[in-house]
Amino acid sequence: MTTVAAVGTYLPPWGSARGRVLGPDEDALTLAVAAARAALAGAGSEPDVRRVVFVTRELPLLVGGNGAALLAGIGLPDDASVVEQVGGGPAVFDALAGAEAGTLVVGVDATETGAVGAAAALVAAGDGVGVELVGRVVRSLPVHSRETGGGVRDYSDARLERERGVGVAIERLDLPDKPVVVAGLPAKQARALCAGVPPTLPTTGASAALFALAALAEVGAGGLVLAVEQGSATALRVDGVPTVHRDEPALLAPEKLTRTPGPDIAISLAAYERAFDAKLRWDAGKCDACGTLALPPRRRCITCGSEDGWSLTPLPRTGEVYTTVTVHVPVPGLPTPYSLAIVQLDGVEVRALVKVTGAPAGTVQIGDRGRLVLRRVAVRSGIPDYGYALYPDTADAAAGAGAGVTEGAVR
Amino acid sequence: MRRVAVVGAGMTAFGEHFDLGIKELLPMAVSEMAAHVDKGLDRADIQAAWFGELTTSDGFPTGILADTCGLLDIPVTRVENACATGNDAVRNAFYGVASGAFDVVLVVGADKVRESSARSTFWEWAGLTRDMAWDYPLGLVAPANFALHVARYLHESPATKEHLAMVAVKNHKHAVPNPKAQLRYEITVEQAMNSPVVVAPFNLYDCTPQSDGAAALLLVSEDVVDRYTDRPVWVRGVGLGLDRVMHQHKKDMTTFPPTVKASKAAYAMAGIGPADIDVAEVHDCFTGVELISYEDLGFAEKFGAYKLIENGVTSVGGAKPVNPSGGLKAKGHPPGATGVAQCVELFEQLRGEAANQVDGARTALAHNIGGPTAVSAVTILSSQRG
Repeated sequence: MTTVAAVGTYLPPWGSARGRVLGPDEDALTLAVAAARAALAGAGSEPDVRRVVFVTRELPLLVGGNGAALLAGIGLPDDASVVEQVGGGPAVFDALAGAEAGTLVVGVDATETGAVGAAAALVAAGDGVGVELVGRVVRSLPVHSRETGGGVRDYSDARLERERGVGVAIERLDLPDKPVVVAGLPAKQARALCAGVPPTLPTTGASAALFALAALAEVGAGGLVLAVEQGSATALRVDGVPTVHRDEPALLAPEKLTRTPGPDIAISLAAYERAFDAKLRWDAGKCDACGTLALPPRRRCITCGSEDGWSLTPLPRTGEVYTTVTVHVPVPGLPTPYSLAIVQLDGVEVRALVKVTGAPAGTVQIGDRGRLVLRRVAVRSGIPDYGYALYPDTADAAAGAGAGVTEGAVR
Repeated sequence: MRRVAVVGAGMTAFGEHFDLGIKELLPMAVSEMAAHVDKGLDRADIQAAWFGELTTSDGFPTGILADTCGLLDIPVTRVENACATGNDAVRNAFYGVASGAFDVVLVVGADKVRESSARSTFWEWAGLTRDMAWDYPLGLVAPANFALHVARYLHESPATKEHLAMVAVKNHKHAVPNPKAQLRYEITVEQAMNSPVVVAPFNLYDCTPQSDGAAALLLVSEDVVDRYTDRPVWVRGVGLGLDRVMHQHKKDMTTFPPTVKASKAAYAMAGIGPADIDVAEVHDCFTGVELISYEDLGFAEKFGAYKLIENGVTSVGGAKPVNPSGGLKAKGHPPGATGVAQCVELFEQLRGEAANQVDGARTALAHNIGGPTAVSAVTILSSQRG
């Protein structure tokens, strides 16, 4: 039996009734970080996370630094282990069912074509809901496929998929009772399989499995939860309603952005490596001599001039806009328009120059407040360059009660 | 220190010189300068040269200047100090003469901005001025650097976007008679206000164009000045000021401390104050920067700049004409050349020979700010020996 202490969810604000879409500064990694941070917020205390399982079919890099960026963004030590796994809903349930305490399982959908979203479940030793594997079947019916290099194929036969894919998988599972939520299917199909009317899930891939756990809060009780993908399926039994923390802002219509081709944006990996920890963990350099904070960290203290050393220390993640501008002119490699802001961070003598996220360009004003969140600032010569962006509170307020809310657990 | 005079000045027209490389622009500017030395210049008299160029094109700058201008037997030093390059080249050459090391020196400034495609220019230039890890990927295009300041300035001061437009209207008008200017046409406040947004709060007409060009000055010591002219223009003061490089480290973004420091130093050396300046060439790469600079240079009280532009004080014919050449806004802005070309304009103003002459101008100030907004250079020139 695995104990889930909390489930966190994240949806980008952008999208339509058909589903959410990625913001121009988001990818599977930034979504994973947002969901993982929501799960940790839901768990309340600082849990000892030793392992992160990151399940998606849209890993930003197939070879490279996703793991380090993930740990830094979530705020976990760099000696935690990271499993980067290609998979959908059943893979997420498989990871969850076998997970030890101290594991964070994150499912992410970050496709360019389908609905996007992310959710994470924290497995811990203390309070939580019990999760147990009921059954699993792994079969092949690749009606949707993606080749190495990204080419997407669609066989386009919904009846074949329904009857010989999901249908046979569920038959093989020989479930003792009807599921209360099913992840991986369109709402209508899911409804047909469930006891009662299941909540509609925002995604159908890896994240959908954990959105299904979160949906138990709406069902009001635990029960059998099923994740399916083409010919495969995994079923779990959940013995209650988990604590859920949702970071799900209200829907905004995607901005009309101009993308200008041009030469690659250059990157210095030497500079990238030096800046990495402070930049992705949102840390300042704190002067050993006088305690002054510097962003970015610097050898010579900006206040006392000491060069005797400094150490990284976490920065506040909220602040107020000191000045802001909006770039309308086309910039090669960056979608325009975009807003930049200098943010006075709360309670410290530190300002940060950042991009604005989660709100249409030009809507943030001097004096507005917001929070700092990890985003993909740019893609530089093929390398995602992550850093922090300002998510204005005005955007959060528009989202109403959906954003940043923890729902109590019901057993 | 010895007194130093400008005795010759020349420049190419500013514009998109697709047909001219740096190797053409440099000798053109130097030859025009030489042709305008009243009593003539034997090029063999030139003992040293300072060359301000922000970027490099077609190779390393000092060698190209020496090679293309026939100056292979003298020391040539490149000066690069962001958009303050031009006036800093003047400053370095000034000390070369004032110190007694040389009697006759050349100052040249040039840049070939339009040597790159319009699309690649942005990232190339950003690479010169940004922290590679922290600021470069944000897309802090050149107008955004200054817009961050001007947005806060408009928030705190009574100035409005209309006042920005008035600066553009004035400088466009000033450029019309200037044969060297890039944008020689008048615009209206409505046109400026309704032009496309580049980086809010800047519209198209708030921004300098991209320009190529070169400018040259001949500086000589007081000991030899009579050999070249009977109407020298004296370099009365020079100053350079710096600030924190990153915007997030600048405490008050409604002012440019480098300008305050540079102008203070130049005024002190000249033994004069802002009230003594009859005409100025001020760094108006973006309209709002001219307004803020009125205050930093001491022409207006804090947040009082809007009154000067509103009342025509800084138009030719007003009490304190600024940018009679058209400024960077309408004359153009090849960064290395800009400060040197400001001094070319002021040399002509102080000798009563300018295309857009300010009546009775005796003392003048040239100002650059760049870096972004982390370095300023100021030069004070006068027809009075002092």
